[in-house]
Amino acid sequence: MKPNFTQKVTNWGNFPVVEKEMRSEDSFKKIKEFVLSHNEVIARGNGRCYGDASLGETIFSTKKLNKFISFDRLNGIIECESGVLLSDVLEISVPQGYFLYVTPGTKFISVGGAIASEVHGKNHHAEGCFSEYVTEFKLMTEDGNIIICSREENSDKFWATIGGMGLTGIILTVKFKLKNIQSAYIRQESIKAENLDEIFRLFEESENWTYTVAWIDCLQKGKNLGRSILMRGEHAFQHELPQNLAKQPLRLKKKLQPTVPFYFPGFVLNALTVKIFNLLYYKKQTKKEVKSFIDYETFFYPLDAITDWNKIYGKSGFIQYQMVIPKEAGKEGMKQILETIAASGNGSFLAVLKLFGKNNPEAYNSFPFEGYTLALDFKVNSKLKKLVDKLDDIVQQFGGRIYLTKDSMSRSSLTNYLKNIQSSKFVSLQHKRIINNNS
Amino acid sequence: MIVLGSTSEVAQAFVEKALQEGEKFERIYLFTSSRETTERFARHIDVKFLQQSEVIEIDLMKEIDYNKFDHVSSNVLFCAAGYLGDGTEEGLYDNRNTEKIININYSKLVPVMNFFAQKFESRRSGTIIGLSSVAGDRGRQSNFIYGSAKAAFTAYLSGLRNYLFDKKVHVLTVKPGFMATKMTEGLPLNPKLTATPKQAADCIYKAFKKQKNVAYVLPVWGIIMMIIRNIPEFIFKKLKL
Repeated sequence: MKPNFTQKVTNWGNFPVVEKEMRSEDSFKKIKEFVLSHNEVIARGNGRCYGDASLGETIFSTKKLNKFISFDRLNGIIECESGVLLSDVLEISVPQGYFLYVTPGTKFISVGGAIASEVHGKNHHAEGCFSEYVTEFKLMTEDGNIIICSREENSDKFWATIGGMGLTGIILTVKFKLKNIQSAYIRQESIKAENLDEIFRLFEESENWTYTVAWIDCLQKGKNLGRSILMRGEHAFQHELPQNLAKQPLRLKKKLQPTVPFYFPGFVLNALTVKIFNLLYYKKQTKKEVKSFIDYETFFYPLDAITDWNKIYGKSGFIQYQMVIPKEAGKEGMKQILETIAASGNGSFLAVLKLFGKNNPEAYNSFPFEGYTLALDFKVNSKLKKLVDKLDDIVQQFGGRIYLTKDSMSRSSLTNYLKNIQSSKFVSLQHKRIINNNS
Repeated sequence: MIVLGSTSEVAQAFVEKALQEGEKFERIYLFTSSRETTERFARHIDVKFLQQSEVIEIDLMKEIDYNKFDHVSSNVLFCAAGYLGDGTEEGLYDNRNTEKIININYSKLVPVMNFFAQKFESRRSGTIIGLSSVAGDRGRQSNFIYGSAKAAFTAYLSGLRNYLFDKKVHVLTVKPGFMATKMTEGLPLNPKLTATPKQAADCIYKAFKKQKNVAYVLPVWGIIMMIIRNIPEFIFKKLKL
C-alpha cells in the first residue's frame, strides 16, 4: 500500500465536494517541507466553514496542531496551536471562570479558522470580532519561514491575516485573551415579535445587552413578514442564579448528544416541513416574553447538540447565505430579502438576524460593518442559483456584502473585498472563483 | 503512567482519556525518540490537566542506557511504540527496512518492556497495556514482516500476562485494526473499519478498567480476524490479502 493523499473533501454544507490532496503534519519542520514542495496550498481547520472557502489544490489540515501551549490563569491569556477547537478551549477555561470573548454559533471551529474567518458572535455590537482579543499569532509564510504577528510586530501581516481566509499563510499558534465569568449560565430574555417593524424596534431597544440575536420565520408574508423571536442575554452572576445552579456555577451537567445517523432523503426538507417546524418553534413559546437562566451551550451552540446536523439537508448539501446591509437601509433591505424568499417558497430552516455594531477599521478584511445581517440555510437544488441571484441583486442594491466563510455561489462583486493579499502560494478554490469571475 | 512511544496519537489520546476520567498520576513519563513533539504534548497536558510529566529520550535503534530511567516508577505502562515500515516488494528485500520493523516492534522493544515489567512484578500491582496489531493474527502478503513482528509481540504479551498473573500484574493486549493516524495517513482505508485515536483510546480505557485480556478496538475486527484466521491454508495462500 502506497500512500495516496487525494481524497474527497467538503466543508460543512457538503457542497461543493472536491477530490484533492489533503495532508496533516504536527511538526513545523514537516509543514515547511510541505509548503515548499507544493505550488498551491490552503490551510483548513475543522472544515466547519461552508462553501469552497477552505478547499484548494492541496489542503493543509491543521487537525494535528491540537496542543495547548500555556494558560495564564491569573490574566486569562491562553496560547494554543491553531488546530485547537473552541470547544477544547471552553472545556478547560469555563471551569476556571473564563469564557471566549467572541464565539460563532458553533464551538467546533479551530482557533486558526476563527482568525482567518474573523468570526463574530451575538455580541458584535458590544464587543466586536474575534481579532479584538488576539494578542499575537505565529504565521508560516510562503517561503516556509515562521513569523510572529501582533499589533506591534509584523502588523501588516497581522491585519491582512485577520479575516484573510488563509490567503496569507498558515497560522500555527495563537495567543488570545479570555473574559471573566462567574457562571456557565446566561440570563436570557426571549421576546416574540409579530413582524419586521417590531423586531427592528426590539433590536434597537436591546443595544445595552451584550448578546442579542433573533430567529426569524422566513416563510411568513404580508403583515406577518419578519415574525421572529429575539433572544438577549448576559453572563449570569453567581448571586443571580437559582439555588440549584448556584452551588456549582461553573459546571454543566452532562447531556445526551443525539446524532443524525445518515443523510436524510431529499424529500424530508421541503416548504411544508420547514413551515411546520417554524410554526412549532414560534408557538412553543406561549408568552410574549420569557425570562430564564440557560446554560451557555444551549444559548450559544443550540445546533452543536445534534452531531452531524448538516446531514439533514441530504447528500446534495446546502449553502448558508449570510449578508450584511448598512444600518440605514437595513429594514428596507431585509424586507425585500424576506419577501423574495417567501415568494420563492425555498424556505430556510434556520434564519438568524443580527444587528452588527461599528467595525474595527484596522481589521480591514473583516466581514461585519454596522448594519443588519441575516444568515439563512438553503438546501442545494436546481432553483437555488436563481434565488441567490435575486438575493445578490438586493444586497448589491443596498450596498451590502456576503460573508466569505459561507459563500459558495454569490457574485464576486459582493465577495471580492479582501485587501493586501499577494501570495501566489496560498490560494483557495473560492479565491480563484472570485478572481476569475471578476476579470 | 509510563508511556513508550509518546508521539503515538493513540497513546496521547489514552493519556488524555485517563486524565479526563480522573485517574491520578504522580508523574507521567513520556518515552520518545522525538523530543520536540513530545515536549509539546507534555506542555499540553500540563495546561489542560495540571499534570506533571517528564520527557525521556529513547531510541530503540541504539544502545539503551537503563540508568537513565532507573527512577521511573508507576502503576500503568502503556506501550504504543511501533513502526509500520514499508510493506511493498521493495520494502521486503530492503534489509534496513526489515531490521527496523523487527527491532522497533519486537526485538529491541521487549527488553525495555521487561525492565519495567520487573518493577511491576516487585511492586505486585499495576497494568501493562501493549498495542499490538491485527496484522499479527495471520501473515498476509501485503505486510507480513510487520505482521510477524507484531505476532511475536502478541505472543510476548500473552506469555507476560500468564507469567505476571499470580504476581497481581495485569497485561492487556490491544489489537487496533485500521486507525486514522500519522502511520496510515494517505492509505486507502475503509472508513467503517477505521477508528480515530480518540475512539481507540475510549475503547482501550474501557478494556483497562474491565481488566480485559485482549481487546479489538472496533468489535468488527474481532469477527474479521476470526474469519481470516480460520481460512484453510491451501485457500489462504492463493488470496491477495
